Amino acid sequence: MNNRILGALRSPITFSVLAGVLIGALFLVGTGADPIASYEAVLTGSLGADGIGSTLTTGTSVLGMALALAIPLRAGLINLGGDGQLVLGGITAAVTGIYSPLPAPLTVVLALLAGMAAGAAYATLAALCENHFGVPLLVSSLLLSYPAMSLASYLARYPLKEPGSSLPQTRALPDGVALPAFGDSTVTWGLVLVVLAAAAYWFTDKRTAIGYEIRMTGLNARFSAYAGVERRGLTLKLMSVSGATAGLVGAIGVLSFPYRFVDGSLTAPGYTWTGLTAALLATAAPLGTVVASFFFAVLQVGGLAMERTTEVPRELTQVLQAIVIVFLAARLSFPSRWFNRRKEAV
Amino acid sequence: MTPPQADPAVELRGITKRFPGTLANDAVDLTVRRGEIHALMGENGAGKSTLMSILYGMTRADAGSVRVDGREADFASPGDAMAAGLGMVHQSFKLFDSLSVAENVVYAAEPRRFGLVDRAAARRRVRELVEEHGLAVDPDARVGDLPVGLRQRVEILKLLHRGARTLILDEPTAVLTPAEADALFTVLKSLTAQGRTVILVTHKLREVLEGSDRVTVLRDGRVVARLVTAETSADEIAAAMTGRAVELDRIHAPGTPGDVVLGVSGLATDGVREASLTVRAGEIVGIAGVAGNGQSELIEALAGLRPTSTGQVTLLDADITHASATERRLKGLAYVPEDRHAVGTAPAASVAENLAMGHHRTSLSSRGLLPPAGVRAHARQLTERFGIKASAPEVPASALSGGNLQKLLIGRELAHEAPLLLVEQPTRGVDIGAIQNIHDQLIAYRDAGHAVLLVSAELSEIRGLADRVLVMYEGRITASYDKDEADERTLGLAMAGGASREAVTVEAVD
Amino acid sequence: MFFDSDLLMSALRALTPILLAALGGAICERAGVFNIGLEGMMLMGCFTAVATSWFTGSPWLGVLAAALAAAAYSLILAVGTVTLRGDAVVLGVAMNLLAVGLTSFLLRTVFGVQGTFDDPSLAGLPLIGGLSPLAYLSWAAVGVAAVMLSRHVWGLRLRGVGEAPDAAATLGVSPAKYKYAAVLLSGVLCGLAGSQLALGNVTLFTENMTAGRGWIAVVAVMLGRALPLGVLLAALLFGLAEAAGFRLQGLGLPQQATDAAPYVVTLGALFLTTARRRRRVRPSSTGAAS
Repeated sequence: MNNRILGALRSPITFSVLAGVLIGALFLVGTGADPIASYEAVLTGSLGADGIGSTLTTGTSVLGMALALAIPLRAGLINLGGDGQLVLGGITAAVTGIYSPLPAPLTVVLALLAGMAAGAAYATLAALCENHFGVPLLVSSLLLSYPAMSLASYLARYPLKEPGSSLPQTRALPDGVALPAFGDSTVTWGLVLVVLAAAAYWFTDKRTAIGYEIRMTGLNARFSAYAGVERRGLTLKLMSVSGATAGLVGAIGVLSFPYRFVDGSLTAPGYTWTGLTAALLATAAPLGTVVASFFFAVLQVGGLAMERTTEVPRELTQVLQAIVIVFLAARLSFPSRWFNRRKEAV
Repeated sequence: MTPPQADPAVELRGITKRFPGTLANDAVDLTVRRGEIHALMGENGAGKSTLMSILYGMTRADAGSVRVDGREADFASPGDAMAAGLGMVHQSFKLFDSLSVAENVVYAAEPRRFGLVDRAAARRRVRELVEEHGLAVDPDARVGDLPVGLRQRVEILKLLHRGARTLILDEPTAVLTPAEADALFTVLKSLTAQGRTVILVTHKLREVLEGSDRVTVLRDGRVVARLVTAETSADEIAAAMTGRAVELDRIHAPGTPGDVVLGVSGLATDGVREASLTVRAGEIVGIAGVAGNGQSELIEALAGLRPTSTGQVTLLDADITHASATERRLKGLAYVPEDRHAVGTAPAASVAENLAMGHHRTSLSSRGLLPPAGVRAHARQLTERFGIKASAPEVPASALSGGNLQKLLIGRELAHEAPLLLVEQPTRGVDIGAIQNIHDQLIAYRDAGHAVLLVSAELSEIRGLADRVLVMYEGRITASYDKDEADERTLGLAMAGGASREAVTVEAVD
Repeated sequence: MFFDSDLLMSALRALTPILLAALGGAICERAGVFNIGLEGMMLMGCFTAVATSWFTGSPWLGVLAAALAAAAYSLILAVGTVTLRGDAVVLGVAMNLLAVGLTSFLLRTVFGVQGTFDDPSLAGLPLIGGLSPLAYLSWAAVGVAAVMLSRHVWGLRLRGVGEAPDAAATLGVSPAKYKYAAVLLSGVLCGLAGSQLALGNVTLFTENMTAGRGWIAVVAVMLGRALPLGVLLAALLFGLAEAAGFRLQGLGLPQQATDAAPYVVTLGALFLTTARRRRRVRPSSTGAAS
């Protein structure tokens, strides 16, 4: 046990996080702020009584997107199209929520499922591009993301726009079509759903045959292919689950305050990229992904608090986050299959 | 009249090199005279490669001195070694497949005009070298399109272009047919006749006896014998290499074939043309052939990893021509691939996880669940049964030695108890103890009534294990021999494309 | 008329940044470095160009500073993948994220604004015949790169390094040196691309203003098979798509439809070329030959 703790301390992950925090401190000094006070503001702002609710709300989306990206990453696949899958999930849930004739509780369930289906379908499209047209997943998923965002933006601004409003947003969902919140906080049952998804991911990864195949594919794709793991099928399955998870996050966003789809509100906070960062930091391991997501949610929410108290721009937390991954990437070696894949395709 | 006895071409004194856990070279002395072919022999792991990489500036020695042409040398890189007149042909060729022969030869020593590569001059230079040394090869051919024998010539031309006086060849005949190997030795002899020196690193007795002037034998990092080829024998060298008298070619007793397990007729895929063969229960069928003649492709097609264009494959009377790799495994096929690091295992995964592959679909899982305790127990059981030395099932497979990793791979596949085992190069790069262990395992597997299809580049392995031998040449099965017909000369001739077509028809009728 | 000289000029303007970045990507590809950090390097170039031009009043110093800054930024990729042997894909993604964060952070600390910095006195690049000098430079760069790669000693060695680094190393050519050079060169080119975007196409800096152009450049490298002329053709396709998008917007289509156009065209082009290549080229059957 002692060895494990030592090992964890020496791991590149600890190193990267410390390096990020240290370089962040240099930035703070550079802008004339007191680094210790600033970091204190980050912690109290995100974990204090005023901030914890906000951290858990942000954490819901970050963890959700982190899971969405970790699931394919476990097999060495990078899904860069999270934003597109997220907004399609959101807009689909909004449409379902507004037009469903069912009673409110059932509508909520239906909207969640519809959002997941939309995200899954769109992510599957990216997988098909790799499987059948030889376009690398990395590229196909990213390129598909832009038209999806354009489409959702168009829908929210024109056909589905709330009449009379000056904002690019849909009508509000009918009364009761919302995820129940805990007490009077902004934390909803969405958090529970995402945590359940994390638990399911953990169980699949550790205890099932398919989880084993996914891990082995991530460690050596040729090994798993040799043993009969069918890559195309696996890519399709993983991407559909990944897209469904991203779609779920979008749907949760719409079914929480302000209970509608607002153009840009799902993508602007950068949940997709924060989630990707968290998944990469944890090398997609289930528990690690949860911890890393919480860490980045703390940074994101704490960054706002820091900006209020020290006037250091909150963008610093984004810088810090990227620095962690830069350090990590330089010390880690992921399977080279993206590269091989690309060679095959070109 | 002997020429004035100048300084030796290469003189190594007291070379010592320690790697974590092993003493790779222990005070090694080696003297190579100018104008001779000097064989450096030893088993895998005897320290030959380390010694040569020290000489060639790829590794630094911990102690000892290097003299080349009488001058003290301390090479920091192969570039330094080349500048001093050394040149090395590595076992795996260091060529640029997409570039032409001329570009490969002049690379990093290009004739120039205005900073641009002078292609005409490069071509001329290659033609000159070709004529001077009788190394016929087309300067404009793309290297990736050349057969192995010609690629090796490009390697030698590269060194000659740089004015190498001493050539080091690492296992040069491993990929050649016997005829190509003979041609290589003719070239080497003409080079030494011109006053150049050749160091031949090898473990093959035949070519040492036929091709070299003197021999230095390494064992466990130490020089154990210095011999003059004309005054020694195969037995003496072999005894020096292994430290004991060994049966040079141990030939196992034949098996007793039963019903047909694998039937292949007219199978074609990329690199394989109309292959037909059968393998019966209780029999090992060996496929001999120079690497790159379609053996790997054939095995991959049989394992379901490569689509077939025509033909039919049956396993235990079931048609598996279009079955996936998983379906084939479930129907009774196990497979030991050639490359244990890149294909056969996931080195970053634990020993237990590596041993679970394949079994995770059958004995280790129920209703999709894979209990970790079962995986661990399975690993303990197999490590014990096959003598795999691993400190714990949790350690990564990358921590195992080459021989142990191969035992892991073979053990895992044997444990499937599949009626058919496909096995490629089962003993490549493993030490002699592990080789005998693996051979015994394969024979025991056959004697338990399983069918085995074996591909090996080592003729002695094929002859020792196989009950029948097929030869592949240019994607076709060109010959079939029974155990007692398959002597080295016959097989060598067939591997070089000299087999009659009759054998094929015999096989097809079978 | 839909196709006219205005459309062509607008396409040429859109083409320049993508072409410059893609040339950098192609050189890296030839040296065996998978560079998907083009987007981030370009963005660093955008910001540096605008900031330098603003403080010195000279857009030319802006271009120079952008090239240097992006080259310095590209060192992250060189050190990370070549020296430390890290993962190029993860590193590239991280560099793109870092560039967005860093430029947004600097935008607020240096200019004290959020979103966009835009000032009438910010000096942009002059136009020659309706195009910025960098446009002409980019065309010249295609020619130079083509000759250097195919005929020059340096290009031969670079290609060798990209194809078989250990073979190059055994001949005394240091793969690391050539890879560093290729990455730094791509940094310079991305810096120029960023300058063109921020001081040529428009004269302002806005957060994440590269908006996926670096990724399109990555695709252009794939489509053009890392050949300078191929990359030019691929980049031209995207330039036309972007210009046509603007034109359609002028004809009343919603902005969102035209925003999506270059990406859809890119994907379409990828489908067509890879699908055709797949039918033509069979997988090679080189087994254990070497």
